[in-house]
Amino acid sequence: MFSIRGVRRATTAVAAATLMVGLSGTRAWAQDATDPNPGALTITGNIDFLNQYMFRGIRQNSTGIAIWPSFDLGIAAFSGEGGLKSVGINFGTWNSLHTGDTGQDGPSGKLWYESDFYASLGLGFGGGTSFTTTYTAYTSPSNMFSTVKEIMFKLGVDDSGPLGKAAVKPYVIFAFEFDTDVATGQADGGSGAGKYLELGISPGYAASKAAIAFPIKVGLSAGDYYEHPLTGDDEKFGYFSIAGIVTVPLGGTTKYGGWNVHFGAEYQKLGETTKFFNGDESNQFIGSVGFGFSY
Amino acid sequence: MGGSGRAWRLVAAACVIAHLQSGTSAAQTQGDPNPGAITLTGSMDASNAYLFRGIPQDDTGLILWPAADLGVALRSGAGTVRSITVNVGMWNSLHTGITGSDGPSGKLWYESDFWTSVGVGFAGGVNVAAMYTAYTSPNGAFPSVKELSFKASAPVRGTNPYALVAFELEGQADGGAVEGRYLELGAAPGFSLAGMAVAVPVKVGLSLDGYYEGLRGDERFGFFSIGGSLTVPLSSERSRFGRWNAHGGVDYVRLGDSNALRLGDNTKVIISAGIGLSY
Repeated sequence: MFSIRGVRRATTAVAAATLMVGLSGTRAWAQDATDPNPGALTITGNIDFLNQYMFRGIRQNSTGIAIWPSFDLGIAAFSGEGGLKSVGINFGTWNSLHTGDTGQDGPSGKLWYESDFYASLGLGFGGGTSFTTTYTAYTSPSNMFSTVKEIMFKLGVDDSGPLGKAAVKPYVIFAFEFDTDVATGQADGGSGAGKYLELGISPGYAASKAAIAFPIKVGLSAGDYYEHPLTGDDEKFGYFSIAGIVTVPLGGTTKYGGWNVHFGAEYQKLGETTKFFNGDESNQFIGSVGFGFSY
Repeated sequence: MGGSGRAWRLVAAACVIAHLQSGTSAAQTQGDPNPGAITLTGSMDASNAYLFRGIPQDDTGLILWPAADLGVALRSGAGTVRSITVNVGMWNSLHTGITGSDGPSGKLWYESDFWTSVGVGFAGGVNVAAMYTAYTSPNGAFPSVKELSFKASAPVRGTNPYALVAFELEGQADGGAVEGRYLELGAAPGFSLAGMAVAVPVKVGLSLDGYYEGLRGDERFGFFSIGGSLTVPLSSERSRFGRWNAHGGVDYVRLGDSNALRLGDNTKVIISAGIGLSY
């Protein structure tokens, strides 16, 4: 199967965490006198179980399950009323443990397929606009792929203020790989460092007992991101994804923070290169379940 | 490999800072940025050498130790059992020398440890804890070691003596023939000086069975170390960013025969410095 790739969490875990924040009203609640953590540091953690791990459309395992433990520390460095509303710094680790062919049952015999470290700087502006810069090192403790280093920019708009329940929360991501060589340090294992473009929306609805979201996105190569292993051609279209995520709080927020269970189902339509990595199958279905907490 | 006293050390560092800045009592007061039941401790240290319980790991380059621990206070109050705490954490060792980026793997990330522990605090400050640790090497420098350890400590006249017993469940720190059993006895007398915390940690590491296997079989004496450490607060106890500190220390280590053979010397001076966070 795929000899290489850098990896990264699919949207489900991130979206679930985001949903949970909205669901429990953490931001507003953070001002409340009963808040167990009114300080400037926020801890977020998740553990998810999936049948399939696709990184931006590139398949990472064929058999077994993937387990994603992750941890994030957020620092609210600044909040104000001017043009710049907030500055946030995040550090985190995200991991993928595989029981199947790229993990415990594979040639390495090791469960720990991937460990990512990231650091980000997020700026919040008026109108719900945010701009985030993230550095990520995608590493493989089981040596299944060479380390991928990436800088990513994300511009997003939270339009729930003016649109309410009709908000779609559009965003655009641009990422580029650096410190690469031929077949080294690249998600596609290609010849040139890749540049990636992602466009997406994440409409959703949060009620008191559950929240549901329908993230939709398309992943494109802005340059050498989806190089076909046989032809060497860079395919523009990487994948299209549509998902449904339900997040259910486990009780309210207590001195142990807010906990939730979340379920996700995702369909991906793959481009030519990602289809090749997927065993020549252009469709992929992903199911997930997990637990999250925010403190 | 390397491994562990660090889990315990990280927790101990948090305790020193808490003591220094009255964090425990402050946790009950208004203005505490984190009055809930979850505590985060983190640190980043740099060192010239890394010996794991006296077993040499690397001293050829710069060594970095990023670590984080999440503590959950399940119970705290009066009575015989004063507290029950669950901790989950990870400790890492990044090497620029021959076991890291300058070595055959070419990779910096020499070690990554994961641990989970349960600690019970009794009246009089007596603490008992059980810990499971998985020592892994992302750059493949050593096979994983899984260990169960138990630690008891008490504040006796400011000396903070402790005893630690560890059992290797799978894999071995010494790369020997059998899984080892380890005993560590130590103390960390400490005091405050001009707003800083000073400690003088002393410990001895012994093999109970198969922990320091050498050319002449298992050796009882693994190492003895004595050190001095200084911790300087960098923020107020009420800072909404948590309590930050800078710390540094020097350890003199005297090694047993099997460890001295690995190092090529029977003594080592280890210097380390770093920053820490308790929130």
